[in-house]
Amino acid sequence: MLSRVAESLFWMSRYYERAENTARFLDVNFNLLLDLNRITPVENPNYWIALILVTSQKERFDELYPEYNARTVTDHLVFSRENPNSITSCVSLARENARSIIESISSEMWEQINHLYHFLQGTSQQAVHNDPSGFYREIKNASHLFQGITDNTFSRNEGWDFIQIGKYLERADNVARLIDVKYHMLLHEKQGKKKISGESDDIIQWMAVLKSCSALEAFRKVYLSKLDPENILRFLILDRTFPRSINFSICAAEDALWRISGSSRHRYVNNADRLIGKMESELGYASIDEIMSEGLHDYLEDLEEQLVRIGEQVHLTYFAYHTPEIEPNGVEEALPFTGVGGGRAIWSQAQQQQQ
Amino acid sequence: MKRYFETYDHGPERFFDEVFSKEGTPRPHYGKLLQRFRQFSQEDINARREIINIDFRNQGITFTVYGVDEGIERIFPFDLIPRILPAKEWEVLEKGLLQRITALNEFLFDIYHTQKILKDKIVPAELILGSRHFAREFVGVNPPLGVYIHVTGSDLIRDGEGNYLVLEDNLRTPSGVSYMLQNRQALKRAFPAIFGKYKVRPIENYPQELLRTLQEIAPPGRFDPNVVLLTPGIYNSAYFEHSFLARQMGIELTEGKDLVVNNNKVYKRTTRGLERVDVIYRRVDDSFIDPLVFRPDSRLGVAGLINAYRKGNVALANAIGTGVADDKVIYSFVPKIIRYYLGEDPILQNVPTWLASNPADLKYILENLGSLVVKAANESGGYGMLVGPESTLAEQEKFAEMIVANPRNYIAQPTISLSRHPSFINDSELFGCHIDLRPYVLYGKNVTIVPGGLTRVALKRGSLVVNSSQGGGSKDTWVIDE
Repeated sequence: MLSRVAESLFWMSRYYERAENTARFLDVNFNLLLDLNRITPVENPNYWIALILVTSQKERFDELYPEYNARTVTDHLVFSRENPNSITSCVSLARENARSIIESISSEMWEQINHLYHFLQGTSQQAVHNDPSGFYREIKNASHLFQGITDNTFSRNEGWDFIQIGKYLERADNVARLIDVKYHMLLHEKQGKKKISGESDDIIQWMAVLKSCSALEAFRKVYLSKLDPENILRFLILDRTFPRSINFSICAAEDALWRISGSSRHRYVNNADRLIGKMESELGYASIDEIMSEGLHDYLEDLEEQLVRIGEQVHLTYFAYHTPEIEPNGVEEALPFTGVGGGRAIWSQAQQQQQ
Repeated sequence: MKRYFETYDHGPERFFDEVFSKEGTPRPHYGKLLQRFRQFSQEDINARREIINIDFRNQGITFTVYGVDEGIERIFPFDLIPRILPAKEWEVLEKGLLQRITALNEFLFDIYHTQKILKDKIVPAELILGSRHFAREFVGVNPPLGVYIHVTGSDLIRDGEGNYLVLEDNLRTPSGVSYMLQNRQALKRAFPAIFGKYKVRPIENYPQELLRTLQEIAPPGRFDPNVVLLTPGIYNSAYFEHSFLARQMGIELTEGKDLVVNNNKVYKRTTRGLERVDVIYRRVDDSFIDPLVFRPDSRLGVAGLINAYRKGNVALANAIGTGVADDKVIYSFVPKIIRYYLGEDPILQNVPTWLASNPADLKYILENLGSLVVKAANESGGYGMLVGPESTLAEQEKFAEMIVANPRNYIAQPTISLSRHPSFINDSELFGCHIDLRPYVLYGKNVTIVPGGLTRVALKRGSLVVNSSQGGGSKDTWVIDE
């Protein structure tokens, strides 16, 4: 498989997953505000700041908008082209990547990406404001449909594995960020108390975290009604069977990486395999008590850093292989690291006239 | 209720109408089609158009318009009424194209080898040697099978009497064939019943024929050759077509950065290392294809590709330097070229052409700018063109200056009388829009021409420009056996 094709499959999948996760955060936040309506005014900016923190966009956001409220945050996370992680930007980037490998994916996959893209182009801010849940459900369903189509139309070859790696690395990263931010917020509110409690409004917030991972029902089946923070964290970080937990995502990414390279539990052939194997083992033997005593925030931050490093190693091992060492002049013209490369220089040259 | 074709105006006499004779009676091969369309209500037509539009958009059958800050994607407009060519007419075209392409290929071989035609002063040497498309690096290089122009798409038009004329030979990287294939699929979906009434010759084998042609030119000794398509990338207006053809042929779509040259052999970069490439169907222009030989700032090409090609380690389709023969000035010499190499009279005629480089012609052009079509010799796609009757005085003056400054670069032709064909100019109205025809010719061990080609249509009332970049659309084109 061409390195460029593998890279675009990886990013196509990653951006699609990112769009879905952003839709999940936003959807749950709306519901949460409704749940907490009696306790706090709906426009309490704290609940909106959290969403911006999840996407590491606080500085950028402060430059662009005067305050945190439903409108500005929705605009930034759904529509803004300035924000490379907005749903619109992610879907556009997923589509650009798909377009550059259109002959390698099934036409059904392409049509589905295209359909979502055109749906977003045709959606107004007001429409989202009127029916936020309907809108976010549409995005989530589009992502599920895409994965289902991929599942049923894409051969189980190397390309499939790159799609899986992109999806699960992104998912693990998103869940880690989501937990981290929520934990941070709740600690902050309790000012000084070192331990998060199982008080009722805290529980409502932790339920929101579960919901945004579509994990509430699955959680209840395991822990029944023992909705305490430690069980919730155990489920979201360490559960091996739930497809949106961090541990599950890492196992799935590991499987895919090992299928590509032929690595196994006792023998790795490249650094990406080594790092993912290490992370998988650590998750497999970790306990929630250890994580909490080490400090949840530090633990999650470390995990996010490890995920970045794995991403870099995948890039070096499979995508950057045999790239000419000297970059042409005008590197600043290149687009950010997003899979589709080249930037404006290529854009203007590619316009060469056609007969 | 209003019926289609009840109020159709078959237009002024100086244009040939494809469907109706000058007396207004339908031509026999359109009889069954008209009968069917007269039964349709506007709702029937709208419903079918809607199906096709959604289909095209979801499949991403779009093209990009340049000239604005970022490319805008548009659906390639598709007209629902097919254009029909009776087999007898088509067979003449086929012979004419075969003759023309054969002669042009011999011409290319000659000017890149002994240059006999220049020595015999049939074509002025300075026109060839001074052309910016003449690739002097290729003199003496033997392309596989001696073929330079593996894929061509000549533009044909019809004059007021219905005679077919060649307007342009596109010998570099002609596009549009994917629309030909998609149009057929769309029309089959929209009007399956009409197909039952006509014996339409199939065109669906084009991708297989193209792949066969490409395999035939592989370097000797390379069995099961590795063929790839080289595209400038997703920002190119024809990107959809590149990906479509790659998928249809089952070959890999590559960009310049996917290929590397090592020891004069071409490889592609894969997740498992380098793999040898034998044949490249390139949709990148000569000037961008190798920064070591042509434009050094090119980021679309492959450094070292030209040397690998010269060594015979990789085949390119089309060959380098073919643009010298589809230059609009050389065009005016094609009838002489046919007589010179084949000793035959041309079957397909040219449109009369004045060369600005010829002083007498230049005078005529400058005096008649208001009635002529002036074209830059090296441009394509409807860019760099003055349509006299539709231009303002200021535009004419600007062109006059450009022509005088660089006469070698301009030619003029009478305002050509493209034939007209009923087409929907909006949802409900039929109008005789101007059309042309681009058949696709494949040249490997043999010459193959798929029946029909792409009919391009100027979907603006009275417009003569059929290019997609200038508001043109296309029609399905049928060659029928009676």
